Amino acid sequence: MMRPKIKIKEGMNMSNRMIKRHDQGAILIHWFNAICWFFLLATGLGLIENPALQPLGQWWPNLMKDIFGGGAILLKAHWIVGIVWAGVWLLFLLVGIVRYTLPFLKQIMTYTIPRDIQWMVKKNMQMTMGYKMMAKLVKPFGWDGKIPDQGFYNAGQKAAAAGMISGAVVIVITGVIMLISKVYLNPDQTPLVQWSITIHYIAAAVTFGILLIHIYMAAISREERPAFISMFTGEVPEEYARHHHKLWYEKVES
Amino acid sequence: MEKKLAMVIDSFACIDCKACQAACKEANKIPVGKWRNWIKSPDVEAAARKGGRMLFQPGNCMQCEKPTCVEACPTGATYKDASDGTVKINRELCIGCGQCLPACPYGARYRHPELRVADKCDFCAERRAAGLEPACVSTCPNKARVFGDLNDSRSDVRQLLKKGNFVQVVNKESNTDPHIYYLGDPGVKDWPVKAQMPSAFAFWKNMAGPAMKAFVGLSAVGVGAMLVKQFIMPNDAPEDKDKGGDEHE
Repeated sequence: MMRPKIKIKEGMNMSNRMIKRHDQGAILIHWFNAICWFFLLATGLGLIENPALQPLGQWWPNLMKDIFGGGAILLKAHWIVGIVWAGVWLLFLLVGIVRYTLPFLKQIMTYTIPRDIQWMVKKNMQMTMGYKMMAKLVKPFGWDGKIPDQGFYNAGQKAAAAGMISGAVVIVITGVIMLISKVYLNPDQTPLVQWSITIHYIAAAVTFGILLIHIYMAAISREERPAFISMFTGEVPEEYARHHHKLWYEKVES
Repeated sequence: MEKKLAMVIDSFACIDCKACQAACKEANKIPVGKWRNWIKSPDVEAAARKGGRMLFQPGNCMQCEKPTCVEACPTGATYKDASDGTVKINRELCIGCGQCLPACPYGARYRHPELRVADKCDFCAERRAAGLEPACVSTCPNKARVFGDLNDSRSDVRQLLKKGNFVQVVNKESNTDPHIYYLGDPGVKDWPVKAQMPSAFAFWKNMAGPAMKAFVGLSAVGVGAMLVKQFIMPNDAPEDKDKGGDEHE
């Protein structure tokens, strides 16, 4: 973990130095998750044929059923990819319990409350209104215009992770209940299946709402571009690390 | 041309012999304890008041014009077939959630004990494919059940309905416009059971659906606002302070 500290010339060549942020396992599971998620989202929405429930309109289930050649195959595809998605994740979390699971959980569950609240408020304002406006608006509350330093994950990432993980757990549990409905469940257990369908939808929608922000931040926003690139290369420029995840940077560099 | 399959049932011709029920079980291999059709038990007290005349009401899935079971199905596994007007179940797409069962006011549906999917009368689709009438129609000794296409002006059902002296047995609050028409007196005409939408379905439709649309919409609006800001506002980040590496070194 210890790496030699490199002296950096002031203002020069700093962005050339890269710091390792993700290893290959993390990068692979991220993109595996992303691909599965979009497949499951598309097919899952396609399975909602009922016009009273379908949020996008009938064209979507029609399109999905045309692509897959009917609702029966669409349902099977959703099941198979869902099982593979949850199964690979379970395996990853168990095999990587020391390397990935526990450190990740520790990181996303460690909140430094006053700092993180301040970060959440200021960052959201800065992202929508700019630094100057944010600084002006928070001044009456006794805050300066500086965005508080953050660790490996910032407060927004921690909150998003908590939301998406909870969503995934609920999606898997309700998905399994729906899956076993036709195999094990009896007529008096169908209310469980009925509520699973509704809750599955809610959990997927909540996760998708968070996912929109995640995708914007990573793939579209200017500031977090290096983080997006690091999901392929595993590395972030030193300047980015210092600017956006200072507490982590200091830990790595010390 | 599209068909609209229907049954006309002469209640006065029915003698409550249950042959239609037995024939249906045999033809469609209905599991023990389940039925796709029925003859509603006569109300002896009411019959006694009316002078002893027993009234019988044979029935089965009425292949309704406005099927509440289809309305309750999330996946479209239960659907109305436009080609023949019958309400069908795609067993492969059905996950056996059972929401369609209480949605049928007539109790025409049950959950198949082995297949664990919804099941009901389909006007004997297999027999019709082979050019036969539904088993209950063929077997009825008094020809109380008549089957045919409402869109065909020469069909028996159209001829029987011509006079207009038929009734549909419906619940006033959830009229599904059933395609079983009764001649004679089927006893109960105001069906006492209302179509029930399961609570999980109602919650999704009325609460969770709009709430989730609002949530995802808000998220999209937030992201959109940031995107617009990114394009129209200059990056005013006070980068200079950090760049020199003075205070962070």
